[in-house]
Amino acid sequence: MNDGQTSGVLHVAGLSKTFPGTRALQDFSIDLHPGRVHALVGQNGSGKSTFIKVLAGFHAPDPGAEATMHGAPLRLGDPAAAYAAGLRFVHQDLGLVMTENAMDNLALGVGYRTRGPAHISWRAQEESARSLLTSLGHEFDVTVPVERLSAVERTTLAIARAMQGWDERAGLLVLDEPTATMPARDVDRVHDLVRRVTELGSSVLYVSHHLQEVFDLAHRVTVLRDGREAATLDIAETTPDHVVELMTGGIWVAEAARERKPVDGDPVLEIRGLACDVLDALDLEVRPGEVVGVAGIDGSGRDEVAGGVFGSRTRRGTVRVAGVELAPDRPHEAVGLGVGLVPRDRHADGLVMEFSVLENLTLARLKDFFSGLVLRTSRERSDVEAWIDRLRIKGGRDTSVNALSGGNQQKVVIGKWLRLKPRVLLLEEPTQGVDIAAKEEVHVLIEEAAQSGAAVLVCSSDEAELVRLCSRVLVLSQGRVVADLAGAEIREEAIIKPSLGIPTARDRAKETIG
Amino acid sequence: MNQARTTAPVEEGGPTEPAPGEPPSDRSRRRPRIDLNMSRFSGLYLIGLLVVVYSLWLPETFFNADNARVILSSEAITGILTLGLMVSLISGVFDLSVAANMSWSTIFLGWLQAVVGVDWVLSIVLTLAFGVLIGVLNAVVVTVLKVDSVIGTLGMSSVLAAATYWLSDGQSIVGGLDPAFRELGSSKWLTIPAPVYYFAVIALVLWYLLSYTPAGRYLYSVGSNMSAARLSGLKVVRLQWFGLMTSAAVAAFAGIVFTAQLGTASYDSGAPYLLPAFAAAFLGATQVRPGRFNVWGTLIAIYLLAIGVKGLELQWPGEPWIRDLFEGIVLIVAVALAARSAARRMASRAR
Repeated sequence: MNDGQTSGVLHVAGLSKTFPGTRALQDFSIDLHPGRVHALVGQNGSGKSTFIKVLAGFHAPDPGAEATMHGAPLRLGDPAAAYAAGLRFVHQDLGLVMTENAMDNLALGVGYRTRGPAHISWRAQEESARSLLTSLGHEFDVTVPVERLSAVERTTLAIARAMQGWDERAGLLVLDEPTATMPARDVDRVHDLVRRVTELGSSVLYVSHHLQEVFDLAHRVTVLRDGREAATLDIAETTPDHVVELMTGGIWVAEAARERKPVDGDPVLEIRGLACDVLDALDLEVRPGEVVGVAGIDGSGRDEVAGGVFGSRTRRGTVRVAGVELAPDRPHEAVGLGVGLVPRDRHADGLVMEFSVLENLTLARLKDFFSGLVLRTSRERSDVEAWIDRLRIKGGRDTSVNALSGGNQQKVVIGKWLRLKPRVLLLEEPTQGVDIAAKEEVHVLIEEAAQSGAAVLVCSSDEAELVRLCSRVLVLSQGRVVADLAGAEIREEAIIKPSLGIPTARDRAKETIG
Repeated sequence: MNQARTTAPVEEGGPTEPAPGEPPSDRSRRRPRIDLNMSRFSGLYLIGLLVVVYSLWLPETFFNADNARVILSSEAITGILTLGLMVSLISGVFDLSVAANMSWSTIFLGWLQAVVGVDWVLSIVLTLAFGVLIGVLNAVVVTVLKVDSVIGTLGMSSVLAAATYWLSDGQSIVGGLDPAFRELGSSKWLTIPAPVYYFAVIALVLWYLLSYTPAGRYLYSVGSNMSAARLSGLKVVRLQWFGLMTSAAVAAFAGIVFTAQLGTASYDSGAPYLLPAFAAAFLGATQVRPGRFNVWGTLIAIYLLAIGVKGLELQWPGEPWIRDLFEGIVLIVAVALAARSAARRMASRAR
């Protein structure tokens, strides 16, 4: 990397951060130039967020790191020092108080404009709020609650709040995934905003998953891989493909998608124009025995597909199961038609944590054991014993699911649906927080469900998992399908690239068809 | 209670995982095993301790059959009210209106019989029906208007208090009750007053419902994790309706039994029962099946409270505040115990 130590806004060298058991950052260095947008990219777990947290003073680095801001030493791990040096942060969740208006949100950091000792001057407050937003090229009503503003307006407000009372020329604005949960149409407006900030003289560190944005916006890019700086490059001198290679180490699991016979038969799950928050008009058909994957980075709409189909999340569009249309917001009707959902957060949504394995396994349908008069608990117990064997759950039927490991808990959630012989099985992140051995067992269970005739939809951020399981994979980016892969096309690289916003000519052709 | 469940260590710390290759033998689990585990039956031990201490301390007034009978029957009303309340708590909603509902039912029943002249059987039916209606209104407030159940049922209490006053002019309705009706409350069988049997019937019915029907299991799941219950395909709103309607109907029943027992439709009959009902329900959730509101735990809690209060009242008959003090402390301690064991369960999860 070229050394900009003298002219740099921020200079960091030799930064390491060790957490118990993991080395999140190792000898990391970065140099930011004034008035420029510097992008920081890397896969999940590469150390991006650790770096941001060290910079913000949230974590103290390991000894030996050095940092300067405009040549003056900067003490890392101290929020007040970071603030005083002119570092400002806008995190992904923006940190706005949704029920208050823009004026009040702006005042949260620096206080209100007062006249006299404690008298808020609302007029002065409103004027200063307006002028601040206008300087960023946005005007909107500063008196309505933030929850009524659009995503772009909120982002503008969060940036404005970070920048107020701040010497722009000296400062550095750190934006952490500002567009991650934003529909595609709004992303350009955020880019305009970022350019406006640099025109005012500040520098921007832009953290993103989305390479297309990086190439549109940034002047330079630093790639993180496994806690180390893989490279720092001028955008003009590199290509998205090269950056992806650097991010992933250029190593792809060479496993060719295994031979999968195309599945015949009428689709049991038909999705037309499914739309949620980010997700925009998804069409998809899944046949019995088919395993279809949905990929995409966080905020791409990947997390909305299963809940939207199941009806646990507000949706538009139509969903048919075996020809019968599913009402939105009616999970019990979905279950009645043979749809099961394995939700992403098993503690919050998948299991009743105070219940035993037995009670969780049979919760979705107890009438199997109800004679009309009493619950046949002995029959329930023997049925559950059989399922515990089949699912290879390590834990007795009366064990509280609290006491199980993540993998065994996940087997209980999946088993709850397998017991009902589902027509459609929807899974979100089926092996998140599951150890390697249990992961394979969960994959085998999913395959068995498909073999016994279920239409399976797997929404996952684990590309290797999708390669392992699926005969077709849809890749989402900003709410839309950007790649539709089948059979041997399903490789990790082919999933990651479009999800990072690197469309190939072939993908574009497919998008217009599918 | 099914034996497998009571013998299984639901709490942490027990031998939760059978040794590999050694499936738990069904037979040994099914055999009723007398397991008066300290952590689950501490209430029973405490009852025993209190009885011994009070008997030594107050050998004449406490330790005699009459006193036992008084405790048994005086707690029938609290018990009925508490068991109904428990059903709403299980489904995850607070029903603070049970006491006001009981007050209303008492006056409404007396008014029907003494003022309108309705036949006593019909008056019971109408009072119960009105109780269910109150439950429906609570359910609408909580599930349709989305008012937090504590606030919604508190508001309903006030509305019911107003209706009670309006109907009775703030007075008890003395006289005019059908003798056949009063007989329901005053008759005895095997020297034990009838209300104790009504209490026993309610306990058995709810025990059956909660432990031996799908609805019972579903109610617990809604109260423990509404989201997981909903995503398992349960009709969570309907279950909460059921919980609130049951607590209201049982509260109306408590009002009816109370009126029959006293022979008078007394004004504001329910108010003194609100706190003991909550104290007993929460204390009950630390017993038998810790962490869950349950019928047997609630029974233990009701009598633990009653015996504890009784001994103190006999010793200091001139200090009527003792009951309030004791019940208030028990409510707080019971909830604190429940919170502590819940925190321990959470900690054992976050390994």
